[in-house]
Amino acid sequence: MQVVDVWDSQLLTMRTFEHLYMFSIALFSATIIGIGIGIIVFLHPKIADTVLNILNTIETLPDIALLVLLLPFLGLGAKPTIVASILYSILPITRNTYVGLKSVNKEYIYIAQSIGLSSNEILLNVRIPMALPLIAGGFRIALVFTMGLITLGGLIAAGGLGTALQTGIYLYDVDTILVAGLWTGVLAVILDAVAGIIESRLQVRYGIW
Amino acid sequence: MPTQRLFDRINSVHLQQVTKQYGEHVAVKQLDLEIQGGELLILIGPSGSGKTTTLRMINRLIEPDEGVITINDHNIMDFDPVRLRRNIGYVIQDIGLFPHMTIRENIGLVPRLEGWSGQEISDRVRHLLDFVSLSPESFMDRYPRQLSGGQQQRIGLARALAMDPPLLLMDEPFGALDPILRKQLQDEFNIIKQEIGRTILFVTHDIDEAFKLGDRIGIMSDARLIQIGTPEELILHPENELVSDIVDAKKKFKHMDTLRVKDMMSPITDTYLFDAGMTAQDAVKRMTQTNVELAIVLDNSVPVGYVEMAHLVQQIYYDVTLRDIVEPIPIFSSNDHIASALEKLKDRGGSLGLVMEAERPSGLFFLNDVLLRLI
Repeated sequence: MQVVDVWDSQLLTMRTFEHLYMFSIALFSATIIGIGIGIIVFLHPKIADTVLNILNTIETLPDIALLVLLLPFLGLGAKPTIVASILYSILPITRNTYVGLKSVNKEYIYIAQSIGLSSNEILLNVRIPMALPLIAGGFRIALVFTMGLITLGGLIAAGGLGTALQTGIYLYDVDTILVAGLWTGVLAVILDAVAGIIESRLQVRYGIW
Repeated sequence: MPTQRLFDRINSVHLQQVTKQYGEHVAVKQLDLEIQGGELLILIGPSGSGKTTTLRMINRLIEPDEGVITINDHNIMDFDPVRLRRNIGYVIQDIGLFPHMTIRENIGLVPRLEGWSGQEISDRVRHLLDFVSLSPESFMDRYPRQLSGGQQQRIGLARALAMDPPLLLMDEPFGALDPILRKQLQDEFNIIKQEIGRTILFVTHDIDEAFKLGDRIGIMSDARLIQIGTPEELILHPENELVSDIVDAKKKFKHMDTLRVKDMMSPITDTYLFDAGMTAQDAVKRMTQTNVELAIVLDNSVPVGYVEMAHLVQQIYYDVTLRDIVEPIPIFSSNDHIASALEKLKDRGGSLGLVMEAERPSGLFFLNDVLLRLI
């Protein structure tokens, strides 16, 4: 019953809730912002390269460096962790949204025009729905990034499962490291599987044959 | 926000000295064309002759470089393009149904954007599906990929009619279908054309289709309109060699006595042969997959008649095999004379015959088709 002991002493139920709380906020915000930027750069192709380059640059920073860079501005804890996750996860979502909107078959755009849809109506009724499978792919990548960064937040007192891992590492408590590490891994796999199911549903619903 | 109707009926569509150029390439040159209210005008010509460009200039998908296009004497450049297009139905060869929308959503897309209620949209979609001979119950909630090519083409027409437009543009709507299905849809379209009673501009490269459907035919070549007139005028008084080539004017001299059934039949492949023991449901499935809407039924390799998709779909909920519902079909040998075949068809009141060659079904013989080619 060692697992139960470790679970209780490390407050893993609470840590899991903290973890999922930060995770949901970060991923939700990244999705909204990412899709938003994706649509904006699609509508203004002139700025597309610049914006995607900036996001790419953020992406090339090592995650731990990004976290540390935010400390002077946001202090310790959940806030910089969430912000870092968002910054990190915007790129895959934005990039897939942009590519998805752009690569909708010209023929559908043409027919939408010819039956009398305005460009906004085409965006809303044709481009966005048809880009959903790709956007979901970006979302899935973002999910994995977010999971990693939230766990890293344990380093800067953000709470969540990373805290339990940190404790285990400092005390060199193998049981804690194993239980917290495995649980974090299992959680990530489950969440990714859920995202995978959503992605394939969207693929079936909106994909092209 | 509902779009105001720009015109309730078409008196005339007028193109005056219209030119469209892409760089060096002239797509349409100084074109004068009048489409009269209520007529079906066909534009025909080799590819690259400018017929599709002409069609697309009328709903402003392409804007002319020179010249004026008016509908009921209003310059179309004064209309908002989106509003103009919602007043003009448009059907294209590749159908272009949106794969992520159900049939109801596809047909009801523009009505929804126009702010119709869900009930109004459903009623309209039902009405239109009935109109194109598809049962609303079995089709409303399906996706385009679950439909055969012919069914999708009918949905394309239904979508074009959704806003009840007084003017319809059709760009080779039957071009992608196999010859037999194309003939079936042309026959259907000929019937509903009377009912819809609208002005239609129809582009094709198939002269038989032009003769079958058109009130008047305009022949285009090299970005110009060469001649326009009724089928009779074109056949009897072709303006030049090109026109007589296209309308094949010499065929009026063809002598019926020399023609045999095989010269006039539409060949069929094994795709069209169904076993009598097959259930109606399986037959519909196979027709959808292979994109045919008519099949010859064989009982122990002996043809016993034919079935049509439109009848089969009404039977799929009953436990019937093709043997129970097959319609008899007259059988001809490929060497029969046309005259005797026509007489036999006339006696039986049918419009379709099966042609056998060496004990195997080799083609179908359509009454309309033969009459048309013998003009």
